[in-house]
Amino acid sequence: MMALCLPSLHLFFYPHPNLRSSYYPYRVPVSSKLRASLITKEEAPEAEEPPLPSSLRALDRKPLSAHEGTLTPRSVDFNAWYLDVIARAELADYGPVRGTMVIRPYGYAIWEAIQDYLNAKFKETGHSNMYFPQFIPYSFIEKEASHVEGFSPELAVVTIGGGKELEEKLVVRPTSETIVNHMFTQWIQSYRDLPMMINQWANVTRWEMRTKPFIRTLEFLWQEGHTAHATAEEAEKEALLMIDVYKKFAYEQAAIPVIAGRKSKAETFAGASCTYTIEAMMGDRKALQAGTSHNLGQNFSRAFETQFTDENGQRQHVWQTSWAISTRFIGGIILTHGDDAGLMLPPRLAPVQVVIVPIWKKDDEKIGVLSTAVTVEQTLKSADIRVKIDGSEQRTPGWKFNFWELKGVPVRIEIGPREVADGSVVVSRRDVPGKLGKDFGICMEPSMLINHVKSRLEDVQASLLRSATLFRDRNIVDVRSYEELKEAISQGKWARGPWSASLCLVDDSQRR
Amino acid sequence: MATANASTSSKNARKKEVKKETGLGLAYKKNESFGEWYSEVVVNGEMIEYYDISGCYILRPWTMVIWETMQAFFDAEIKKMNVKNAYFPLFVTENVLQKEKNHIEGFAPEVAWVTKSGQSDLEVPIAIRPTSETVMYPYFSKWIRGHRDLPLKLNQWCNVVRWEFSHPTPFIRSREFLWQEGHTAFATKEEADKEVLEILELYRRIYEEYLAIPVVKGKKSELEKFAGGLYTTSVEAFIPNTGRGIQGATSHCLGQNFAKMFEIDFENEKGEKAKVWQNSWAYSTRTIGVMVMVHGDDKGLVLPPKVAAVQVIVIPVPYKDADMQTIFEACSSTVQTLRVAGFRAEHDLRDNYSPGWKYSNWEMKGVPLRIEIGPKDIANKQVRIVRRDNGAKTDIPISCMVEQVQDVLSSIHENLFNAAKEKRDACIKVVHTWEEFMTALNDKKLILTPWCDEEEVEKNVKTRTKGELGSAKTLCTPFDQPSLPEGTLCFASGKPAKKWTYWGRSY
Repeated sequence: MMALCLPSLHLFFYPHPNLRSSYYPYRVPVSSKLRASLITKEEAPEAEEPPLPSSLRALDRKPLSAHEGTLTPRSVDFNAWYLDVIARAELADYGPVRGTMVIRPYGYAIWEAIQDYLNAKFKETGHSNMYFPQFIPYSFIEKEASHVEGFSPELAVVTIGGGKELEEKLVVRPTSETIVNHMFTQWIQSYRDLPMMINQWANVTRWEMRTKPFIRTLEFLWQEGHTAHATAEEAEKEALLMIDVYKKFAYEQAAIPVIAGRKSKAETFAGASCTYTIEAMMGDRKALQAGTSHNLGQNFSRAFETQFTDENGQRQHVWQTSWAISTRFIGGIILTHGDDAGLMLPPRLAPVQVVIVPIWKKDDEKIGVLSTAVTVEQTLKSADIRVKIDGSEQRTPGWKFNFWELKGVPVRIEIGPREVADGSVVVSRRDVPGKLGKDFGICMEPSMLINHVKSRLEDVQASLLRSATLFRDRNIVDVRSYEELKEAISQGKWARGPWSASLCLVDDSQRR
Repeated sequence: MATANASTSSKNARKKEVKKETGLGLAYKKNESFGEWYSEVVVNGEMIEYYDISGCYILRPWTMVIWETMQAFFDAEIKKMNVKNAYFPLFVTENVLQKEKNHIEGFAPEVAWVTKSGQSDLEVPIAIRPTSETVMYPYFSKWIRGHRDLPLKLNQWCNVVRWEFSHPTPFIRSREFLWQEGHTAFATKEEADKEVLEILELYRRIYEEYLAIPVVKGKKSELEKFAGGLYTTSVEAFIPNTGRGIQGATSHCLGQNFAKMFEIDFENEKGEKAKVWQNSWAYSTRTIGVMVMVHGDDKGLVLPPKVAAVQVIVIPVPYKDADMQTIFEACSSTVQTLRVAGFRAEHDLRDNYSPGWKYSNWEMKGVPLRIEIGPKDIANKQVRIVRRDNGAKTDIPISCMVEQVQDVLSSIHENLFNAAKEKRDACIKVVHTWEEFMTALNDKKLILTPWCDEEEVEKNVKTRTKGELGSAKTLCTPFDQPSLPEGTLCFASGKPAKKWTYWGRSY
């Protein structure tokens, strides 16, 4: 039909001949080897793990019917499952330019939920939103060449504008430090101008070689906070405060039990004093860096001469932080909680928290069922629950059950003629399969129904966090020697051990 | 800890620092040097910072609150209409950009191209979106199969780039700007037509209810409509100081043109293959520029209360040996009371600036209402309120402060709107002949004329009025048409007039 040919899946798997490992924010190339040796090898086969009780991992859930095409099971090909689920749950599509993605409404709604929560937290902690231009003069980038050494092959460069060759090449922002510092230098004169605490929600571009929807895309959406302080203590406090904001967000909203910690020297952002990170364990036990907060010290302020006059009249360089979370986080949610039936979205971030499936066999049942469904929908809406009715006549109830499970909706309400007669509904949880996950005969009386649904949503939220935590803990091994570390890694697990933090030890283990 | 002597001497040293002279005043006057005044006021009001790339500006927090307030309103309204937000890529390939010939003719001259990644040249240059029709519509084609997939209603909040060479002006004309673009597809033209007007009404509300700016709703001429679309409706504002019209926001019916180009077909209820009817609609950060131009004065910005980041600024007024602590506490509690009542209130307790300096500073920033609290006010259990729009000062008792502040803010909005409307209406000139038209144009008027509605005539007017100030063009054909007596002739061609249309120079 269409001449436009969307890139095939292959482009996302087969390494380009000029493959250069490239990293998600604030990483330098050497870290890839370190990461690989410490965490898990991409080529290593999945270690056998003993089956978890079905209440915790719903691996036995029935996949979609053959007519629709099944999802690749996670244990067979985790990556294929991930791409299948993104396509089938309508989260994203591939962009016209290799490596870009179209975020469809369902996926974008998750981003909006993340934005709403974090935006409020940033305002609470005293930050103001701004918007910096997307284009950076090439000369700016060159000013801090050491910092963006890792980025330079990834920069998208504009040379033609309005039909004319531009006087100076422009870079499409990969991150905004250069512009932000340029402006901080102009705005900060005295200690009274500090602390300066700003944030921006924007799109950034990194011309990556290997891409994966949400996880690593050519263009992605994020927030980047930038702050300047009068003392080192304040900057450190801010860096820790923000990683804590991210950690709480991960635990409480996304039900992801991240491990907050400090990066090794080799992994720290080139130019930062230290980098704090939240690391999440995905369903295949790989680690995902889900958010970072850097204490930049005075490295940038010295490079950009960002100074202030302190209370004693002395000129000093400011102490800075920067911190970011991006659409990658959505990938983290998919990879942490999904199962073979599809997505499992934590209720607090789910665009649809409750789906109502009306069920009827005969035409005369239809009206009663549908109008009851509408009543239930209104009741739940009045309690600010995000609810939707799937009243379409083209699909069977069974199809709808599978579809909304695929889309990860936490709670399903089933209404058939019997429920209409009884004045009750069936409430079903996404995270517990079969009869075990269903509550029958839930009264439709508004306050009772609302209470029941709300507590079910909280149950799902808590259970997602609990099972992700259990999974993570089962896959972390405490080690005391290099041999034990190697053993743990070969099993696909994470190793935790005492470390002298010396750089030469790191190089050594990379080599081995 | 420093000794008592040291701390006193540093206090004295700091006292000397107290800024009395404002040094804040604007060098340019709005009625004398409008262009320079505008550039000055957006910088001094801390809305904009100029940047090393011409035509690109930094939007400071004072601006972002205005943008975010409008965004919250508009986003909530379109969600009620079942429009869903999504995000499409910034980059578009050349072949896709070329799909709609008229569209590309309209936008091609303004596209920025990425030609390199790092040091290496890209095989094929990639364009940065000037607008997202060509990015999105291939997906419409993929996602729409049957009538049950319709209507498809998507919107995105994003940045776009148009590499223009005409005089860049913060907010009004910049090479990168923020906007929303809605793109919808329907099974029938009637549905599309209906939505075009629903959205246009939302744009009117943004201007009139949030920004206190009067606008005219109308339809664009064939020459001025969206490149590639069927018809364009818009809300038009007018800047009396420069005598220029300014397009406030647009709501287009694209007809089936893009559906043809992108093969966006669906199977209708009869089982036949049909093409969808589409709309697209957008408003941008330009709205903020219009707000500054219409309401600002020689003291600085004047912000309509609904969008002001700070609606009420509370300033302590020391007097001789007054007990500053009590005054500060009164300021804090006033701010608290107002915040609890839902107002965006702040206090300015900085000890290195005098009250006079603070008054000028917050007037520059356009805060709608100032509250002054001095020892006398505390004694009389009152506060002094000062309006930014007309400078009126009133003492109000604390007991009814919240209600009074509410009333005053509403009154400020109304006053700003009425004043703007009066000024705009005074600029409207109805003309019937070419001579009258030229006179009105030179008088910086918003000109309403009977017109024969012919594209050649319109082009001719543009050519004949070309000059330093730019040519005159149609701004819109207002929905609200005055009566057109039979036999009325077009002002430019002398042929029978078909409708009344607004003309003028524009941004």
